[in-house]
Amino acid sequence: MVILLSKRAVDMAFQALYTLTDIRVILRETAPVHELDEKQRAQAERLLENLERQVASLKQEMLK
Amino acid sequence: MKCAAGIEVRQVDEMAINIDPIQAGGRLTADAMKAVIAYGDGYSVCDNCRKPNRLDYISKPPIAEFHRDVASWLNMDAARMVPGARRGFQAVAHTYVHKGDPVLLTSLSHYTEFLAVEESGGIAREIPANEQKLVTPDATAQKIEEVIRDSGKPPVIAFIDHVDYQYGNMHDIKGIAKVAHQYDIPVLYNGAYTVGILPVNGKDLGVDFVVGSAHKSMASPAPSGVLATTAEHAGEVFRTTAITGDVTNRKFGIKEPEMMGCTLMGVTLVGMMASFPHVKERVKHFDRELENHRIVTEALHSVEGTKILSEYPRKHTMTRVDTIASFDKVAETHKKRGFYFSSALEEKGVTGLIPGVTKVWKFNTYGTSRKQAEYLARAFMEIARENGLPVS
Repeated sequence: MVILLSKRAVDMAFQALYTLTDIRVILRETAPVHELDEKQRAQAERLLENLERQVASLKQEMLK
Repeated sequence: MKCAAGIEVRQVDEMAINIDPIQAGGRLTADAMKAVIAYGDGYSVCDNCRKPNRLDYISKPPIAEFHRDVASWLNMDAARMVPGARRGFQAVAHTYVHKGDPVLLTSLSHYTEFLAVEESGGIAREIPANEQKLVTPDATAQKIEEVIRDSGKPPVIAFIDHVDYQYGNMHDIKGIAKVAHQYDIPVLYNGAYTVGILPVNGKDLGVDFVVGSAHKSMASPAPSGVLATTAEHAGEVFRTTAITGDVTNRKFGIKEPEMMGCTLMGVTLVGMMASFPHVKERVKHFDRELENHRIVTEALHSVEGTKILSEYPRKHTMTRVDTIASFDKVAETHKKRGFYFSSALEEKGVTGLIPGVTKVWKFNTYGTSRKQAEYLARAFMEIARENGLPVS
């Protein structure tokens, strides 16, 4: 039997990758010391929170 | 860390400030990275390819619209995306140059322009740069006259770099095009270092073809580039196929021979498209890039004995420097010899310099933030001081 994952799971997988991409860009913009200013720090915090939410949704969808 | 068997993950730009002269303008935007994730599969942009079955007609993703936008952005009438600037040179040379035809290049032209001419059987005639390493309209006129005297006909086309790869100098392409047109010579503008970096207006410059390198200057994956032209020349360089198979009687619709049918498929094209809105915006702020570059060149200048070989003040962020009387002096006695310099830079988180080079080298600061430019400037001065070189 073929088990179809939900569209939501696929979307979450991409969204998590995109959030990680935004984090990667912060690492590029702050190389080589990766010292984040206030704005970058707030952005990183928001991105990491989103990532946690996206991974949690993915877990819920894929392992239900 | 590896991304696949035997392939190291590339973290160059995450770990260091990368001043490699050819890599700076091709670093992907976040949107291009995201597009790469979604469109990495081979024929990914062909899901919705419908008749007349040509890449630049696909509307989902909006490839057709992108082609029109790029042409309009360059103020030209038609554009095709190509696998690198060199394929643009090749298409134009193959259309206009025949065996024995003289072709105008410059003494600072990129080798791929020569190869494109060679492949079509043309003869390379270089306009010499002057002592300031600039190619001028006067020198262009003199060279054309020389070619006419030698071969009895003018060059069939001129390939002129707006900013050359050797010095990053900006040449008077508008003046050169005006001279060339007085002899009815069409002009190809090589914008490998300008299209996607600073504003380029093909018709205002008076050129017939604009070639850009997307992986060098439009924040795109390689190989990618653009060839744009006027309505007058579009029907020639973008002519459609006329061939018929003698057994099958097959014809091939509106495929374009110089483009070999479809050009940039999949990830390269979508990467270009994703970066394009950012590229359109960033060219408006080239002054900021020059300001950051100035911070670094002034720091290098402050190391006694260092010479800036490119035109000065700088008009581009790629610069050639001579450090024979400064950093190279240290190499004479240093236990690491010439490798001490790149090694010291790496230790400070700066990469992109050819290991071992201490005499004449190039660097590019395009895309660095102000903070990174200041860091870079400090790094050069610190290395000089640490090695006993006077810094003024």
